[in-house]
Amino acid sequence: MQRRNFLSNLWKGAVTLIAAAGAWTTWDLLRPVSAGATGRVRAVSPDAVPEGGVIEIRAARAYLVKIDDQITAISEKCTHLGCRVPYCDSSSQFECPCHGSVFNRLGEFQAGPAPRGLDRYAVEVGEDGLLYIDTDTLEDGPAPGVDTLNEPPTGPSCTEGSH
Amino acid sequence: MSDLPTPGHTDGTSTPLPNPLSAKPTVIEGRRVLGIVPGKPAAGESKDHAEQDAVMVWPHLLVRHAVVAVATLLVVLIISLAFDAPLREIANPTNTPNPEKAPWYFAALQELLAHFHPLVAGVLVPGAILIGLAALPYIDRSDFIKPKHRKVAVNTFTTFLVIWIVLTLVGFAFRGPNWGWVWPWVEWHGEL
Amino acid sequence: MTIMDRVRNTTVGRSIFRSPDRATDRDRAAGHWSNFFLHIYPVKMRRAEIGFRYSWYLGAISTVLFGSLVASGIYLMFFYVPSPASAYTNIQTIQTEVAFGQYIRNVHRWSAHLMVLAVAAHMARVFYRGAYKKPKEFNWVIGVVLLVLTLLLSFTGYLLPWDQLAFWAVTVGTEMAAYVPLLGETIREVLLGGDTVGSATLLRFYVLHVAVLPVAVVLTLSIHLWRWRKDAMLDTPREEPE
Repeated sequence: MQRRNFLSNLWKGAVTLIAAAGAWTTWDLLRPVSAGATGRVRAVSPDAVPEGGVIEIRAARAYLVKIDDQITAISEKCTHLGCRVPYCDSSSQFECPCHGSVFNRLGEFQAGPAPRGLDRYAVEVGEDGLLYIDTDTLEDGPAPGVDTLNEPPTGPSCTEGSH
Repeated sequence: MSDLPTPGHTDGTSTPLPNPLSAKPTVIEGRRVLGIVPGKPAAGESKDHAEQDAVMVWPHLLVRHAVVAVATLLVVLIISLAFDAPLREIANPTNTPNPEKAPWYFAALQELLAHFHPLVAGVLVPGAILIGLAALPYIDRSDFIKPKHRKVAVNTFTTFLVIWIVLTLVGFAFRGPNWGWVWPWVEWHGEL
Repeated sequence: MTIMDRVRNTTVGRSIFRSPDRATDRDRAAGHWSNFFLHIYPVKMRRAEIGFRYSWYLGAISTVLFGSLVASGIYLMFFYVPSPASAYTNIQTIQTEVAFGQYIRNVHRWSAHLMVLAVAAHMARVFYRGAYKKPKEFNWVIGVVLLVLTLLLSFTGYLLPWDQLAFWAVTVGTEMAAYVPLLGETIREVLLGGDTVGSATLLRFYVLHVAVLPVAVVLTLSIHLWRWRKDAMLDTPREEPE
């Protein structure tokens, strides 16, 4: 009986080995490769960011906002399902077209189905005096309920008037 | 059955069938024919029995399937001649269209996503639906077939089906910019 | 004698069909068994089960639509390269320059939508007539798998035109996967082949759409039909109180 057990185990072992090799190969093939092309994105001079306004840096897919001379880089990607969130000038808020999530000018969560505020990038002033957005350092947006800006919509929403 | 011609004599004008009784019997060693019993029809007499009778798939079902196939392809042909498949502008990662719509069969999910946390609407609900569907025959074990004898199963399924259809319709046709409510006859935002 | 009968009765015909006559039920059954395409059917079925009222032929309709999708899909593959640089212009070329291109693309698109409808309706019809009951439980489960495969096929095909509709529907759809606990972000990145919807995503969805998923459907559908054939006369009619 020992020989039968040995052969049986050998058989199971071989099958397991082949399955593992297949799974590993598949994983290695499909494993996402980091984009690599990102990194530090040169933006604009700090003075070009308007106080009380927002400018978009297309290359970084981010917005820069200045509040009390403090500049924050906010990701354009909705934390709900990844739609690009446009800025609404009339209400001074970010309003997502996909499922109606609303964020204030600092990207803090106001309303809608999003689980948190808009994510943020590190931003710094380089040697040439321009702002650089580091797209490798994405930090989660503020939790819902955090509202340091505490500023009501300055006007009508961009989307309610559309129908 | 007995009046059908035997293989090889299908046209009816050929030589008459040999009388089986007069033909020379095939003798198998150690066996002999005890007698020939006239065949009787396999089908029962009453209508009830007839419904449960076995009928040949060739040609009864095959001819029906052929008609169904041709009808289906005709419908596809007519729809394809009448309506062109949509093609929007080229993909642009920097501009999300407003409203952004999923394909219609995911419209119910998208509608749920506008109201619940994505873990609930995007993962738990579809997961539960699929597991529930797959487990259905192992939950409803009663022997009965008729809907009136399995009211719980039928009512549950119908409730979910109606909710799903309503959500799909709402997400598909009644949602406009910023996922706000619109009336489809006023402005149309459905995408196919 | 019809032409087909004559063909069947030639030497070559007999070598192909083996059972050349269709006169008696026994011939028909033999012809059935010796034909690769017909043998996915049972030889006999209950009279009640071959009529419109029983199935509404929704399973047959789904299968026919799948065939229509394979045919039109192969045609489209000749004119389509799955890369962001060419995908969209390929579709435009198909619509404007390729002979019957617009029509074939319409057939593919509308067949896909109709197939999702037909498969869902098939499932509902099977439920209401109680056809998932013993001994067909597992075939119902296979049917659920086929429903999922149909949706995945449709969804992966949705990205291929590389237009705004495609790009954002897939962005949202794959973001949903990211909410799966623990593995979510990994699943999303494996699907996308990167961080965002891009050239890797298009290639992955293309391979899934034209190779992996169709093969999976053919295999699963074969099992589905094979079990349907085996079960055709298996369950006994039940006596039910009125």
